[in-house]
Amino acid sequence: MTSNKDLILLESHLAGTLKRVSPPSDLIRRLRERIRVPDRAEIMLRLKDWRRLLLVFGGVMSVLMLIITVARALYHLVGRRTIG
Amino acid sequence: MFYHLDSVGKGNRLTTQEYNEESILARASQGDRDAFGQLYEHYIERIFNYVYYRTGNLHDAEDLTARVFQRAMNHIKNYTNRGLPFSAWLYRIAHNLVANWHRDRSRKQEIPLDDLPVVPTRGDHPERNLVRSQEQEALLRMIRRLPGERQNLLILKFVENMSNAEIGQIMGRSEGAVKSLYHRTLLSLRDHLEDQNLNLEGD
Repeated sequence: MTSNKDLILLESHLAGTLKRVSPPSDLIRRLRERIRVPDRAEIMLRLKDWRRLLLVFGGVMSVLMLIITVARALYHLVGRRTIG
Repeated sequence: MFYHLDSVGKGNRLTTQEYNEESILARASQGDRDAFGQLYEHYIERIFNYVYYRTGNLHDAEDLTARVFQRAMNHIKNYTNRGLPFSAWLYRIAHNLVANWHRDRSRKQEIPLDDLPVVPTRGDHPERNLVRSQEQEALLRMIRRLPGERQNLLILKFVENMSNAEIGQIMGRSEGAVKSLYHRTLLSLRDHLEDQNLNLEGD
């Protein structure tokens, strides 16, 4: 009997502890953005935006130049040390 | 410190009459993104709750919830209603991702106390609220030490108010097996409470 009472009490405490929480609205919005896949029309529109394309192209080229420069600098330093 | 969660705007939610899951699922499985959006709106809160209680922190809950819906969106064409409701299918995805998350972390994680969703009972004496909150913290810590399957059961039963039959569909067990597992979980929790000399206050 006492055991049953214990379990009923435990159940009531579980019900009071495990309550449904409401996620913040900004979290819901962020999640919606994360799972959203642009539709075909939107992709076409983005591809037609030459300013955006130029920016992306410029960004990619800049990063590539940076990587090449760092790689050359490292190669130069390591090469000098090996010769020395 | 209690974590306060704002309520979600329900402006674009559909009413029960408007929400016809079967037709929405049919459209979503044919690649209709608006239909999937409706499923998202309908289930986001439930899946978030499940993941939140299993991980214990908002950041990972957000990340995993996003992955649940991304995976569901990528595989919705494979979903066919063979007696398994869509919600059960979603929970299974969530369960697998949470299991992988725990495996990756490879250690039992404690819920950061700041993130515990402790809700003080309205109208109670402050001192009594404090006792109840400490009890809730202790109880949550104890729940987090249970095997994953038992945590799932408690979350689905108390947070989602699901019946044993519904829980069985998600966990791939019979109603009787869920009932038995629930009873064993309660006994185990009670024993842990006794071991730690924790007495729950009666009303």
